[in-house]
Amino acid sequence: MNDNAAWAHPQLAAQVVRTRRDGGSEVALRVESLHDPRQVLWLEQRIRALPGVRRVAIDRPARRVRVTWDARRTTLPALLDSFDAAHCPARPLQHDSIDDARAQEQHQALKHLLVAGMCSMQVMTYAFVIYIGVVDFVDFSTRNLFRWLGLLTSLPVVFYSAQPFFAGAVRELRQRRLGINLPVALAVLLVFLASAFNTLRGSGEIYFDSVTMFVFLLLAGRYVELRSRHRSGALGDAAIDATPLLAQRRRADGELETVAAIALLPGDRVHVAEGEAVPADGVLESADAQVDEALLSGESRPLRRQRGERLVAGSVLLSGPVELRVEHGGSTSTAARLGALADRARQVRARVAPSDRVIGRFVARVLVLTALTALGWLLVDPTRAFEAAVAVLVVACPCSFALARPAALTRALGVLAARGVLVTDGKALETLARVDYALFDKTGTLGVPKLDRRGIEPLRGDTPERVLQLAAALAHESSHPLARALADAARQQSPTRQAQSVRVHAGAGISGELDGRALRLGRADFALAPASRQLPATLADALVLADADGAIAAFHLAEQPRAEARRLLDALRADGVAIAIASGDHASRVDALADRLDVAERHARQSPEDKLARLQAAHAEGHITLAVGDGSNDAPLLAGADVSAALASGTELAQTHADLLLLDGHLGSLADARATARQLQRVIRQGRHWSLWYNLAAVPFAAFGLVTPWLAAIGMSLSSLLVVLYALRVGRGAPGPTDAPHPPLHPRELHA
Amino acid sequence: MNILLVLIPVTLLIVGVGVWLFFWAVNHQQFDDLDSPASLPLLDDQPAPASPAASPQHHPTPPS
Repeated sequence: MNDNAAWAHPQLAAQVVRTRRDGGSEVALRVESLHDPRQVLWLEQRIRALPGVRRVAIDRPARRVRVTWDARRTTLPALLDSFDAAHCPARPLQHDSIDDARAQEQHQALKHLLVAGMCSMQVMTYAFVIYIGVVDFVDFSTRNLFRWLGLLTSLPVVFYSAQPFFAGAVRELRQRRLGINLPVALAVLLVFLASAFNTLRGSGEIYFDSVTMFVFLLLAGRYVELRSRHRSGALGDAAIDATPLLAQRRRADGELETVAAIALLPGDRVHVAEGEAVPADGVLESADAQVDEALLSGESRPLRRQRGERLVAGSVLLSGPVELRVEHGGSTSTAARLGALADRARQVRARVAPSDRVIGRFVARVLVLTALTALGWLLVDPTRAFEAAVAVLVVACPCSFALARPAALTRALGVLAARGVLVTDGKALETLARVDYALFDKTGTLGVPKLDRRGIEPLRGDTPERVLQLAAALAHESSHPLARALADAARQQSPTRQAQSVRVHAGAGISGELDGRALRLGRADFALAPASRQLPATLADALVLADADGAIAAFHLAEQPRAEARRLLDALRADGVAIAIASGDHASRVDALADRLDVAERHARQSPEDKLARLQAAHAEGHITLAVGDGSNDAPLLAGADVSAALASGTELAQTHADLLLLDGHLGSLADARATARQLQRVIRQGRHWSLWYNLAAVPFAAFGLVTPWLAAIGMSLSSLLVVLYALRVGRGAPGPTDAPHPPLHPRELHA
Repeated sequence: MNILLVLIPVTLLIVGVGVWLFFWAVNHQQFDDLDSPASLPLLDDQPAPASPAASPQHHPTPPS
C-alpha cells in the first residue's frame, strides 16, 4: 500500500507516533469499519499477534484504535498494512488523540466505586453485629472492637473513594460558588468525624455504615452518568475524526493530488482555494492574499499577506486561490492549531458541567436549613440534633436537581452527533426548541444546483466538453454552490486544468487566465463587462463564461430540492414554525423552488444585508429566529440569528460560526435536532420537578428526626440515579424516520 | 469468641484480595469493552474473506 508507505517518513511519523519512556511507540488510528463486534474481536486478535505489539485498545463508539508496540520489530507502515489486510483500513490520527482521557477517568471512577462497595459491605457486617446486639452479651471490649473495625474499614471509603467529592468541594470553594459537591463533602466529613470521635471515647452513636453506603450509592449514580457522558463524547469524536483536513499538493509534474494535511512535508507546494483553510504553515508564493485568522488569534478583521510572507495553518483564505510552500510539515503547534475545530466542538461538552446559579442558591438554602434544624433540636433535645441535621443535609442535597440538566444535555449531544449534527454551543439547543421563525437560504441549502449536458449552451461553436473544461478551471477555485456544481460536472469528464491569477469577486463571479486568455465566469453582467456588449435576454439567469471578445458559453443550472428538504419543512410547519426563503437569485428560480416546497413567504434578489434586515425585523416582532444557510456564504446571516444551522463538511467546519453544523448535507437532521431539543427541555423540566418535589416531601420528615441518616442516603442516591436514567430517554423514541439507524458517517472528500 | 480473632483478619484479607484483583482487572482494560465479548462464542474460526496474513510470523489463534 503506497499510502501507508508514506508514514515511514520520520517527520510524518513524528506527528502521529509518540515514543514512550520505555522505548515503545504509541499511535491512535481511525478505523472506519467497526460495526460488527465480531470484527472488533477479530481485528484485536490479529493486531495483537503481530511481532512487538504490546497493547491494543479498541474504542468502538469513537472508532479509534490505540496501539502500543515496539517500532523496531514492526514499522508503522507494516502495522497499517496489517489493518488493511484485515479489511479494516486505518488512518493515523494526530498524536494528541493517543491519550485516552475517557478510559483513564472511567478506570478511576470504577476503582473508587468498587472500593466503596466492598468496604461498605464490610462495614455493614460489623454494624449489623452491633445492631442485633450479639456482642452486648459478651462485654464492652468486644463491642468496642467492632466499632474500631468499622472505623478502620470506612477509612478507605472516606479517604480514597470520596476523593472526587472533596476535590470538587475544594474547587467550588476556590471559585467562590456553591455547588453540589460541598454539601456531600460536608455530610461525609461531619458524619465520619463524629463517628470517629464517638469511637475514640467509646460511647455515643456511630454512623460508619451510613456514610460508606452514602458514598457508594452516590458514586454509583455518578458512574452511570459518566458512562453515558463518555458514550456521547466518543460519538462526537467519531464525527469529528471523520472529517480530516485535506490538502491539495502539487506533484512534480504540476498535477494536484489530495493528501491529508498532516502528511505534508516541508518544501511541498500546496494549492489553497478561496474559502478554504490553510493546511500547514508556509510561505505565500502568489502575489497577495486575504486571510482570516479569527479562529487562531480572535482577530476578526481580514489580514492582507504579500508574496513571501508567512501564512499560518488553520487560518482561512478569503480571497483568490493561492500557492503555498510548506515550511513546517507538522510541528506539534501546527497540529494543535489544526485541531482548533475539534476543540471547539469538544469544549461544548466540557462546558456542560452545571454552573447554574439556581444550584448555588439551592445549596445555600440547604445549608441554612441544616443549621436551623440543628439549632431547633439543640433547644428541644440536644442528643438528637446531630442526627437530624445530618439527615436534612443528606436528604436536601440537590444532587438530582443538579444532574438533570447535564445528564440530559450530554445525552442529547451524543445522540445528535451520531445523527450528523454537531452542536457548537450548548445553549443553542435550548433556543432551537423555542424557535418560531425560520429563514432559509436557497442555493446550496434547500436546493442543490446540478448541471447536465443539456444545460450547456456553447455560443461560439465549441463543444460542450471544451467550454465546460474552461469554465471548470475557474469554477473549482470558488466555494460557491453554483461554482461547485459546475466543477463537479466537469470533474467527471476530464482532469481539472489550472488557471492563473484567479480572483474571486464576491457576489459576481470569478476571473482568471488560461493559456494567456483572460476568462470571466459568473453573472451575465459581470462576465460580459469587458466586452461591453448588450445582455441577451436569454442569458439573464444563466451562468456565463466569457473572454474579452464576448460570451463563449452559457450554463443553465437546474435546481433540485435537497432530498430531505421536504421532510424538514413539513416537520417545522407541523411544529408551528413560520418558514421563509430568502435568496440572491432571480425571482423565477426562487418561485420554482418555493412552489415545489409549498413555501409562501419568499424573497428573491436579496443581498446578504437584505436577508439580515429581514431576520432582524422578525426578531423585533418577537419571533425567535433560526437561520439555515450554507457555511461559507451566509456568515452574516448565521451570525445574526438567535440560533443558526449550517450545512457544512470538512474544512468548512472550521470557519463556520453556526451553532449547529449539519454534516454530510443531511438537511433532515435539523428536524431531528429540533425534536431532540424539545424532548431535552421536557426531560430537564420533569427531572427538576421530580427532584424538587422529592426534596420538599422528604425534608420535613428529616427535620423532625423521622429519617435516619442511612435512609436519607438511600433516598438521595436513588433519586439521583432515577434522574440520570430518566435523562437517557432523550433521543429515544424520537418521531418519524429518526428511529431508523442513521447512515454511517463516512469519510468525505474535502479540500484544504 | 476467640474465633473472632481469626475470622476478622480473614474478612479484612478477603476484602483486600478482592480490591487487589479488581484493580488488576481495571488496569488491564477488562472493563473497557463490555459489548463485543458477548459475541465471542458465536465467532467462526475466521470471519470474512480474510486475506493471507500481512506478515509471515503472524499466526492468529483461532478463537474458540
